[in-house]
Amino acid sequence: MTDINLNDLLRTYRSHPYEDIPVSTPHTGIVTLKAHEGQEVKGPGGPWLNRPGTLLYLLERERNVKKMSAPCGGTVAAVRQDLDSTFVEAGTTVLSIRHHLGKEEIIDRILTHVLFIFPAPQRARYYFPPEVAASIEKAQGKDVTIKSGDESVIMSLMKRDTFLSYDGPSGVIYKVYFSPGAIVEEKAPLLGICPHDKLEYVRKVVQRIRTEWEE
Amino acid sequence: MLDRGKRLKEFADRVQYLMDVKGGADWGSLNELLDEIRFIQQSIYDLTEAEVFREIERIEERITFLEIRAADLLTPAEIVNIVRSPQRFTLTDILENVYDSYTELGGMGECNVDPAVLTARATITRRVKNRLYRHQVMVIGHEKGRGEEYRNGGCAKPWGNAKALRYMKVAETEGIPIHFYIFTPGSYPTEDYPGAAQQIARNIYAMARLKVPMVSFISEGGSGGAEAVGLSDMRIMSSRGYYSVISPEGAAAIEGKIREGEKVPRELLEHCAAQLHMTAEDNLRLGTIDRVVTEPPLGARREDYSFFHRLRYEMIRATDEVVLKTKSFRAFRAYALKAQALEKDVPEDFEVLVNWDLTELEVERLLELRSQKYRAMGRGGYVEGKTGGIPVLGKAKELASSGFYELKYGLLRPHQRNVQKVIEDVTGESSVFLRKVTGPVRAAYEFVFPAPEHPVPKRPMEGGEERSVFREEWETYVSPLANEDGTVTCPNAQKYGCLDLWIPDLYGEFSGVCPTCGHHFPLEYHWYLEHLFDKGSVREFNHHIHSANPLAFEGFDARLEKDIKRTGRRSSMITCDARVDGIKLVVSMLFGDFRNGTVGSAEGEKFVRACDRARTTRRPLLAYIHTTGGIRIHEGTLGVTQMPKCTLAVREYIESGGLYIVVYDNNSYAGPVASFLGCSPYQFAIRSSRIGFAGPRVIRETTGQDVPPDYHSAKNALRRGHIQGIWDRREFRKNLLDALMTMGGSNLYYK
Amino acid sequence: MDRNKIDAECAIGYKRAMSSDRVLIANRGEIALRIMDACRDLGVDYVAVYTAEDEDSLHARIPLSESGGKKAYRISSYRDPNEIFMVADQAGCTAIHPGYGFFSENFRFARRAALRSRPVTFIGPRWEVIRDLGSKINTKRLAKSLGIPVIPGSDAPIYSEIEAEALAKELFFIQREQGIQKPSILVKASAGGGGMGIEEVNQLDAFRRVYRRIQNYAKRQFGDEGVLIEQCLTDYQHLEVQLLCSSHGEVVHFGTRNCTIQSTGRQKRVEIAPGFDPAVCVYSFDAPAILESITAYSVRLARHAGYDSIGTWEWVVTRDGQPFLLEVNTRIQVENGISARIARISGKSGYPNLIREQIRLAFGEHMGFSQEDVSFEGTSIELRIVAEDTKRGFRPWCGTITRFDLPEDEFATVYSHVPRDRPYKIPTEYDPNLALAIIWGDDTNKAKDLARRFISETRIEGEGGITTNLDYLHDRIEDVLVF
Repeated sequence: MTDINLNDLLRTYRSHPYEDIPVSTPHTGIVTLKAHEGQEVKGPGGPWLNRPGTLLYLLERERNVKKMSAPCGGTVAAVRQDLDSTFVEAGTTVLSIRHHLGKEEIIDRILTHVLFIFPAPQRARYYFPPEVAASIEKAQGKDVTIKSGDESVIMSLMKRDTFLSYDGPSGVIYKVYFSPGAIVEEKAPLLGICPHDKLEYVRKVVQRIRTEWEE
Repeated sequence: MLDRGKRLKEFADRVQYLMDVKGGADWGSLNELLDEIRFIQQSIYDLTEAEVFREIERIEERITFLEIRAADLLTPAEIVNIVRSPQRFTLTDILENVYDSYTELGGMGECNVDPAVLTARATITRRVKNRLYRHQVMVIGHEKGRGEEYRNGGCAKPWGNAKALRYMKVAETEGIPIHFYIFTPGSYPTEDYPGAAQQIARNIYAMARLKVPMVSFISEGGSGGAEAVGLSDMRIMSSRGYYSVISPEGAAAIEGKIREGEKVPRELLEHCAAQLHMTAEDNLRLGTIDRVVTEPPLGARREDYSFFHRLRYEMIRATDEVVLKTKSFRAFRAYALKAQALEKDVPEDFEVLVNWDLTELEVERLLELRSQKYRAMGRGGYVEGKTGGIPVLGKAKELASSGFYELKYGLLRPHQRNVQKVIEDVTGESSVFLRKVTGPVRAAYEFVFPAPEHPVPKRPMEGGEERSVFREEWETYVSPLANEDGTVTCPNAQKYGCLDLWIPDLYGEFSGVCPTCGHHFPLEYHWYLEHLFDKGSVREFNHHIHSANPLAFEGFDARLEKDIKRTGRRSSMITCDARVDGIKLVVSMLFGDFRNGTVGSAEGEKFVRACDRARTTRRPLLAYIHTTGGIRIHEGTLGVTQMPKCTLAVREYIESGGLYIVVYDNNSYAGPVASFLGCSPYQFAIRSSRIGFAGPRVIRETTGQDVPPDYHSAKNALRRGHIQGIWDRREFRKNLLDALMTMGGSNLYYK
Repeated sequence: MDRNKIDAECAIGYKRAMSSDRVLIANRGEIALRIMDACRDLGVDYVAVYTAEDEDSLHARIPLSESGGKKAYRISSYRDPNEIFMVADQAGCTAIHPGYGFFSENFRFARRAALRSRPVTFIGPRWEVIRDLGSKINTKRLAKSLGIPVIPGSDAPIYSEIEAEALAKELFFIQREQGIQKPSILVKASAGGGGMGIEEVNQLDAFRRVYRRIQNYAKRQFGDEGVLIEQCLTDYQHLEVQLLCSSHGEVVHFGTRNCTIQSTGRQKRVEIAPGFDPAVCVYSFDAPAILESITAYSVRLARHAGYDSIGTWEWVVTRDGQPFLLEVNTRIQVENGISARIARISGKSGYPNLIREQIRLAFGEHMGFSQEDVSFEGTSIELRIVAEDTKRGFRPWCGTITRFDLPEDEFATVYSHVPRDRPYKIPTEYDPNLALAIIWGDDTNKAKDLARRFISETRIEGEGGITTNLDYLHDRIEDVLVF
């Protein structure tokens, strides 16, 4: 955890405030395209993110037509028109969405430079141990403290679960970067920890980004 | 000058009231009239006195003319407007003008558990031969307030209804009559503890056998909200009030399939208001109320003292009648005839003094009369066909004469403990006890791992889409949904990584349950009839009671016919005798295919008869709710009165010692949950079902707040204490048996 | 390599009949490659599937078909049946070979293959057979009814304590009767599996407490409080009988194997055929007679169940020569190669290929030979080379393999999906199995020597120092066939 040059970081993001997010088929099937190049799409909405985003394409497999909707808002690009009405393999990129980073996303990204990052040691699936998951759920946005040596995350590799001990300064789990059960690449961040004495500093950084970043 | 200013102000109010009633300024150029009044108000000092006087005369004439014309052609929708006008009298006005003194209980004004519900101890005075007599009563009702936001327009919150219940009990303890005043567009649809539906159910259940005379007065009776303080021995209604199953807007939204956020067209609103038969006249004709209190043609307003005078007379008279009925029928007749003669003008004096205290015997008669009164409601709302019709579920066995059961249980019951042995020998039902509870588990196990018979070595036959691929494999019932070669996605796939399910697997072997996350996909009701009960034990009864269209709701006949054709059934309720591991029980089942499982007169009657059958045959009663969408709006208040009617019947069953178990599945909402289902002490839900008072859309539209997607989930219902457990569909039978064995103490019939 | 020694000519006759068929290989790694070989021998077209993690595996990198059509399809998971059927339809496959693991013993998958509107031949037994023999309890019950010895104990879940205690008493009594020094029984949750909810009881007095504990556990974990009780065997050899059956009721066995050497996770590491060899080991019982009896029992059960594919009957034989049927594996097994390797079919040169036979029979062929035509020669040992740390609980190693040199000998057949011409990263999603080596010798001692030689000549290197089980395999070869 280091002090950062916030201005530099903000400038970098301002010059390129978007991310290209590829949209790939989760499994095999017949694709029917529903979005066109340049279309503005919305990500999931509603207070509980229960309203699906804009429909991008249909994927039919074994007489089950699934609606594939946008994972985030943005502009549709790089549509593979040639895939329309054809069979595709799993993991085929159908189109991509140029997603404008929102304020909260900028904060998330900048925080990876501010917080102490606990990275994934291996490409594997990660879970929270039940006790940690329970305390995070119970806390409901309040602080969950972690200290060095705590069993913080379960790494699931080759059907075996390994408990990973947290190794770093004790502090608050400020940010969780993985969704339980999903594959995380090696060295990708798992947890962002903020030591107690730095909380104020982090809050200040967040506050500054909030005021300075214009959507 | 001052006087004239006052009069102009009064004119403005009257014009405003007309606008309220007519739903806008288009009618009778009211806007211009209002402008004229304002002009004179502003220029009152510029005009000569004679001019002002002339103008006032002219305007008054004009307003009076308009008022007469407005009253002449009053439509049901306009009556709704009258009721909702801020100038209409409220409960506080009644307390101040009808009663002599009162003390508000359970809060004052804004400092209140629920300012929408007002409870008060009050005195009401009658004069007999120049002497004054004071009666103590409990007044419970809704306070719409004078535009105060905290009153919530008279929408009672669950805790408000709980407060009402508390003071009903107080009245019962003190032995004083209760006067209910209903001024509510409906209950506030929140599931927060104790929950709108559950609390209303509790209230109705309590009122069903409350041991004091109750009179209710309806000005605005909006469905379930009205019933929470509405069950009484005498129901009177003001002539310009409305009493309806649903607000006309709500009905229009459903009928016109109006999308959320869109405005309901005025014509549709008018149409629905008329179709719902919600006026006092309509309700009197339908028998859902007992008497009408006449209001001025355009409705009584806040300062209409002659109306309050009449109301005082009517409330006393109604209470008298209720009391007299319990004492002697002849006295009541004499009293009623005299009162009838005096109907036109309210007399200043009462002929007699009636003591409102009841003896124990009279209380019993009171409850008996109440039961009769409610059981008769909705009698005209269904069609009773020939009993000889062909029931779908098998041969209908006529109920053995109740005499047999009277002999079997009635005679032996007092000495039950001593003759327990005898009963067991006589009935042969004791075998139930010898059988182990593990019976069904074993049966299920055999089912999953059948002992292999000598298999014929042949390749499996070709799978056709036409016939069930599993019928041959398992001789049990398999959902027809399984006959499709395709896959479906579990709604929890994102969360739990459930793989797409092959439809024949899902609806066949898996019984519609996702093997990964346990999500229950809906199954048709037939599945339960086949899997829940012992093979061949289901015998339907009262199949001949059919749903009808008692209000001649436009277009409803055709829709009813369509559902009859589609389902082969004539009401959304199936009542049957059945057995679970040899234990005989009576079952009533609401299913969603027929009018979305809504309850109307036919369903209510069938439920009541099922309760009575369970009582006479001394068997447990199971209400399995496959789906219910609430009260059938097309039957208007005939449907609403099924709430108290069914609750009354089921309470009588429970109090005579019966075990009443409710199991919810799929979607169960509104009226039925807020009455005869919600009152059960043992309510369970099948996993993935939703239980609640109002659906998310209604909540959004009435409260302006969105609710989370799992707001009505069984899990949350359990968390809130609305249900007692969640059952897996595949273990329904085992759980039901467990429930029958554990909750059925030695005081239960079947033991 | 010596694959040319496999009886190749018998395949030729079937080529015409199956030329219109296409097999989808719903598996990965070496078994996928072996199925491809078998298909190629039979002249049957095939299609492979692979996941993103397996992109570098040899089975995913097969060339396009002659007509330029696609041969390998990327899917999301080997465990999603919808992916398999989608690709099968898309590629016009008429049959699916499940290999082992994944869908091989999934009767629902086989049922769906058979009953869907576009049926696909499941290369394996009929789904009813998979279901019935897939249940251990059911198999036990069935075996008992046919007079086949099974481990003494309950053959249905027990729900009553009185019943359970009576059985426990009986089991202790039988063991004492047999002169067993430390009698013990196992109490397990019937709905459990994989070592969950199992406890050993050494004294009858302790039984009731354990029974209640397991019952509670079962009720909590599985929602079914049924409990199974059986005798606990401690000193035994794990044997297998290899059967091959056709849909025409023909049953032929391919002798026995011994798979006693297993990792702590009950995964086999060294297998040997035949199951006992009295020439090198001393047994306290008549070993050939035992082998004969378990083979006969297996055939009896197969005939009774109408078994119609390849399958393995798993047995345990105690030190005093008591055989008990454990379960039936209704699929091709990893170690099928050693049974094939020692078999000879009269009139055919070389040794058979059981995968090929399985595919051929699945298409409705007749067996074409009978038990009398099958004879056995020599001893075969299979070594499973796995990247794991045998000293630390067989923990899997993952990383990148930089050198993968296995000796090419006449006596050894090697199956591996690990490419040798480039570095290979072991996918973390699956077991780190690297290769199978099948060694054959004229007799058991010769085969053991050759196996050891094979291991010492094997060179596997990886980034940062790879951990393999080669040393472990080398050490354990001496233990085969011995109690």
